[in-house]
Amino acid sequence: MESVKIEICCGTACYLLGAANMMNIEDQLPAEWRDKVDIEAKTCLELCERDNLGGAPYVRINGTEIMSQATPEKLLTRIGELIEGAA
Amino acid sequence: MADLPLNGQNTASDLFIEMEAAQFTKSGQAACGDDVRFLTVEKENRHLVALSDGLGSGVKANVLATMTTAMAIEFLKSNIPTLEAVEIIMDSLPVCEVRKIGYATFSLFDFRLGGKARISEMGNPGYIHLRGTEEISPLKDGQIVSEHWPDREVRECEVDFRAGDRIIMCSDGVTQSGLGVRKDMKFGWRRSGVLAFARERIAREPDISARDLSHAIAREALNITPGGCKDDISCAVVYLRHPRVMRVLTGPPYYKEHDAEYARQALLGADHVVACGGTTANILERELGVKIKVRLADMKASGGLPPIGTIEGIGIATEGILTLGRVLSALEQMRPPEAEPAAARAILERMMRHDRIEFIIGTKVNESHQDPNIPQDLELRRSVVKRIAAALEKNYRKKVALNYY
Repeated sequence: MESVKIEICCGTACYLLGAANMMNIEDQLPAEWRDKVDIEAKTCLELCERDNLGGAPYVRINGTEIMSQATPEKLLTRIGELIEGAA
Repeated sequence: MADLPLNGQNTASDLFIEMEAAQFTKSGQAACGDDVRFLTVEKENRHLVALSDGLGSGVKANVLATMTTAMAIEFLKSNIPTLEAVEIIMDSLPVCEVRKIGYATFSLFDFRLGGKARISEMGNPGYIHLRGTEEISPLKDGQIVSEHWPDREVRECEVDFRAGDRIIMCSDGVTQSGLGVRKDMKFGWRRSGVLAFARERIAREPDISARDLSHAIAREALNITPGGCKDDISCAVVYLRHPRVMRVLTGPPYYKEHDAEYARQALLGADHVVACGGTTANILERELGVKIKVRLADMKASGGLPPIGTIEGIGIATEGILTLGRVLSALEQMRPPEAEPAAARAILERMMRHDRIEFIIGTKVNESHQDPNIPQDLELRRSVVKRIAAALEKNYRKKVALNYY
């Protein structure tokens, strides 16, 4: 299985609206998931100016899926689904 | 502040004079008994430094030293003859109740770009003039004595100060460090010790800035003396060189069709480039075909501001307005960069290392910043950058240019 690719937006709006809480998301991953997830910070995903996506902070998963109003809990749940689903 | 020439082509051919000082206060004293003052007279292209060591230590010495530098630099600027200036200073200093004299030493440096430098000294250790690691003697070296103050000899030198040269001036807290406490330094570090140290540092790091060299010398003077600072330590360094240019790109251009030209500013002859803002970084990635990487370690250690990314072969990328806001408050309050969150620290340290800071400002307003859910007011980029420019010029003597897109 390919690793799950996570891109966290670190633009101003996303950071202030909650991305700051995801900066250490890697440390919150269960040990058995660590080599299955590839986490990256992006300078800006430029999604916040589009008004139909659900609101910042945004995280992009596997290049196409967009999570709006992301929180560490929501993100960990989704990563779990993708890993367990593929297992 | 000057506007940039067309397309921001840099004007780095002009020489830049970097004037910096480092100080340590005598242990147990609330104020430093030395004072260092710099002044640039723009329209004359003239640069002045005054360093004074007031008699005694603490607040009293600080008053003497500050009065001396304040008067000296005004007299220099107004071209009042040295002797007359010295007499006025001596006559004005308050007399110490204990010692029954009013006294403060001084070293004065006066330089017009394209001309010779003049150095006047009274009571301070002799200045050091270095070209690379070679010590340079003055063209003229004389003494003048006031009739009113026959025991206060003033040394006056004319110096051939060229591009790449450095002048080091210090208080006796530097040359006498170690005196009386170090058996291997019977007379302290002495001028010869400072000279050897400076030559060794420059040999190791030929481009060392005035700021770094002054700090290195002051720190070494402190290290030489075990158990704290025994006298006020001040070291000023003047360094004449070609300017180091840092370019800060921030904010997307008002018209999207200007993106390509805007991004090219990152490539035009700057020694270092910082992209401040997520969209700005994306424009550089897209228009220049470069990759911006944010390391996981930088995410974790970002200290309250969004993390720093690296732009391959060019410089760094940071978030925009929060980071610039933090940079602004540090510059206005003259806080040292070391205590700032990673991204602000990275920008501040680069600003300190460069002489000319050029801002390329995109003026498009980011509508998402107006989201009422955002927990704090976000200032407009333009006004924050303007205040940063003013603080860099006023507090750090940097040359600043602003260019809008």
